[in-house]
Amino acid sequence: MIRVLLFGAAADRAGTREIELPLEDGATLAEVWPLLAERHPDLAPMRDTLAFAVNGEYARADDGVSPGDEIAVLPPVSGG
Amino acid sequence: MFTIVDDPLDVGALIRDAQRPGCGAIATFVGTTRIDESEGAVVEYLEYEAYRPMADRKLEEIGAEIEGRWDVGYVSIVHRLGRVDPGEASVAIVVAAPRRGPAFEASRYAIERIKEVVPIWKREVWSDGYVWVGSQVGSREGVSAKP
Repeated sequence: MIRVLLFGAAADRAGTREIELPLEDGATLAEVWPLLAERHPDLAPMRDTLAFAVNGEYARADDGVSPGDEIAVLPPVSGG
Repeated sequence: MFTIVDDPLDVGALIRDAQRPGCGAIATFVGTTRIDESEGAVVEYLEYEAYRPMADRKLEEIGAEIEGRWDVGYVSIVHRLGRVDPGEASVAIVVAAPRRGPAFEASRYAIERIKEVVPIWKREVWSDGYVWVGSQVGSREGVSAKP
């Protein structure tokens, strides 16, 4: 399992801040999105605006994800 | 000092902390909640949240970038979370440097980088609903996509 944290508008649309998803060994970040969008279809329209982090650092679609990792779904940041 | 806090910022104390005998300039940037108006509604307050500890680490990285680029003696960035009422400070950046040029430039750089890379989000709470800034998701009629 991996832990997925959602923030800001993504948490709002999904109606939750944290979910667990099943993921095989050797998976990539790209494989997480379809699972997430299936579980929370209201996230789908945000896809192109989102960034992702794995274990607290920005990650790309082809980066590996392992069981136990923490993935964060990051809408466009708006601090300041 | 690079930190994220839940309480009001004491900007005066942050400036005093920056004073250095070797520095002839302290530049300070303070971001504050502004009351916007549109469609007969007004912003009542802003509400911030962060992904920690990634956000803390990104603030430290901005500090390291500044020290690599400019001759500065001290940099601090403090960001507040939670509800921030009109006129109150959400972020304070204080840069002390031997000379004013680098102090001004580095403080400007810090706020621009915060808006690019630090995982902090704000929600505008209006008199007629709310909007997540940057995502346009919220409950305001005609202004935002419904969550």
